[in-house]
Amino acid sequence: MSLAAEAFVSQIAAAEPWPEKATLYQPLKEDQILLSDSASSLAVQTFLRMCGLPVQVSCCANAEYMSPSGKVPFIHVGNQVVSELGPIVQFIKAKGHSLSDGLDDVQRAEMKAYMELVNNMLLTAELYIQWCDDYTATEISRPRYSSPYSWPLNHILAYQKQWEVRRKMNAIGWSGKNLEQVYEDVSQCCQALSQRLGTQPYFFNKQPTELDALVFGHLFTILTTQLTNDELAEKVKSYTNLLSFCHRIEQTYFKEHDRESQSGSSRHSKGSLP
Amino acid sequence: MKNLLLCWGGDWDLPSVHTDSLIVLAYAKFSGAKLAVKSIDWTWRTITASVPQLHYEASTVTEPTQILNFLRKQRFNADYELTAKQGADTMAYIALLEEKLRPALLHTFWVDADNYANLTRPWFTSHSPFPLNFFVPGRQASLALSRILLTKAESPLLNITEVEGKIYSEAKECLNLLSHRLGNFHFFFGDTPTSLDAFVFGHIAPLIKAPLPSGQLQKHLNQLDNLCQFCNTILKNYFNASAEKRTDCSPTAIHDPVDANLQKLTQLVNKESNLIEKMDDNLRSSPQHRPNSTPPS
Repeated sequence: MSLAAEAFVSQIAAAEPWPEKATLYQPLKEDQILLSDSASSLAVQTFLRMCGLPVQVSCCANAEYMSPSGKVPFIHVGNQVVSELGPIVQFIKAKGHSLSDGLDDVQRAEMKAYMELVNNMLLTAELYIQWCDDYTATEISRPRYSSPYSWPLNHILAYQKQWEVRRKMNAIGWSGKNLEQVYEDVSQCCQALSQRLGTQPYFFNKQPTELDALVFGHLFTILTTQLTNDELAEKVKSYTNLLSFCHRIEQTYFKEHDRESQSGSSRHSKGSLP
Repeated sequence: MKNLLLCWGGDWDLPSVHTDSLIVLAYAKFSGAKLAVKSIDWTWRTITASVPQLHYEASTVTEPTQILNFLRKQRFNADYELTAKQGADTMAYIALLEEKLRPALLHTFWVDADNYANLTRPWFTSHSPFPLNFFVPGRQASLALSRILLTKAESPLLNITEVEGKIYSEAKECLNLLSHRLGNFHFFFGDTPTSLDAFVFGHIAPLIKAPLPSGQLQKHLNQLDNLCQFCNTILKNYFNASAEKRTDCSPTAIHDPVDANLQKLTQLVNKESNLIEKMDDNLRSSPQHRPNSTPPS
């Protein structure tokens, strides 16, 4: 895939400066990307914006196969390819940009714990709803996932992905849960996040960290994505401080950018927050 | 009121060798719930039951989180005094334990060839009835391996050896984080133990106490003094009744604390007399002493 991207270099002292061509790859925004991938991708984009590092978003149908770990999104910086938020945060820290330097050890422990909470609960719940709930899988996930491919490849790939995700759910013990319990788990997770956030602007008071980026990515995507029903979004909406948190980050980091690139016209996404 | 908790039996100074069972046992002690504990060793339940399992009156609950929720509803609540933020922190730290520490624990006990062959499999085989002893350890091991591979292995590297480095470094980092969070306190939220203490105890106690042949994670944990202290404090204060009932280890396993002091005193006196004998030895074999006197045996 050719990298015809333009970005300007940010002059901050680092081991190697952030290169001119830095690209973030994700599946096709209009037709292919699913809720969980979109959330992860938005989290990485938010983190990069918080660090002030420009990056070009490139949508490819085979992004998942290009990624070194099989997960999206991944960034191509210079001659290195890094995927998933955790490794990307470390990679960027090696270049000298970090959002969590001001935290002491206990706070850093808390931050990592909350990031694991989001990954463990929210991301797993998103995957469950997309692939283990038969109705959603049939109506939304499988058609979208396999849309760039022709028959019979689309059937094979969609079912293969579904089987993989169900195996994983089985291994961690989520296959015994029903949809109501999953919604309940999401609600508890949001309650924990809401209590931790309280009335502060960000999770660690004045400065945003990667935790804020991750939470924003997931919550914003949940709120703006149309699924078969709105119950997931309703669970999140019941926590007003989380809603205002999302608004605030959207205003601060995404307002000045081109609004059209924020999927305002996508069928799948409802655009900006209601 | 019938209440019965099924769990794996104990060994190595612990009330149970199974992490999930330990979590429930610890929480029951912390919250003051009186549960009749029945071990499933040497019964057919080793393969049929999903342990730990709580039978309370008519209902059956499995999984540590569900059991703890159930106990809380029955007003056995160890988290009563936590603030909302501390409750949220509890959830977050439990997620951290599950994601970062549990895979490495599973690997240490069930996948590492040395440990599995010399410790885990013999233990579980000897605690399962015939003919299940052929199946139980193998089944647990394959479940553990598949869980590690499915959650931690990235798709090009579906090989356990490449994942090992990653899960152990994450586990060590997790232990360091827990140690930082605990600091110098007795428990994670002040002076009384809560459900987070139960979860942490359940995860690290087997790692501290099990006599593992190859335990790099155990070595790392032993360097974190406050976590070892935490574990021993809980064992001493909440589980010492079960430790005293065991009669195998030392010949002085007695109930009366006065006798325990007497035992310590006896040991000290023995040590002193050994020292005195040694000194005597040295003196007698020294050049100043007359060589024709025989040294004491």
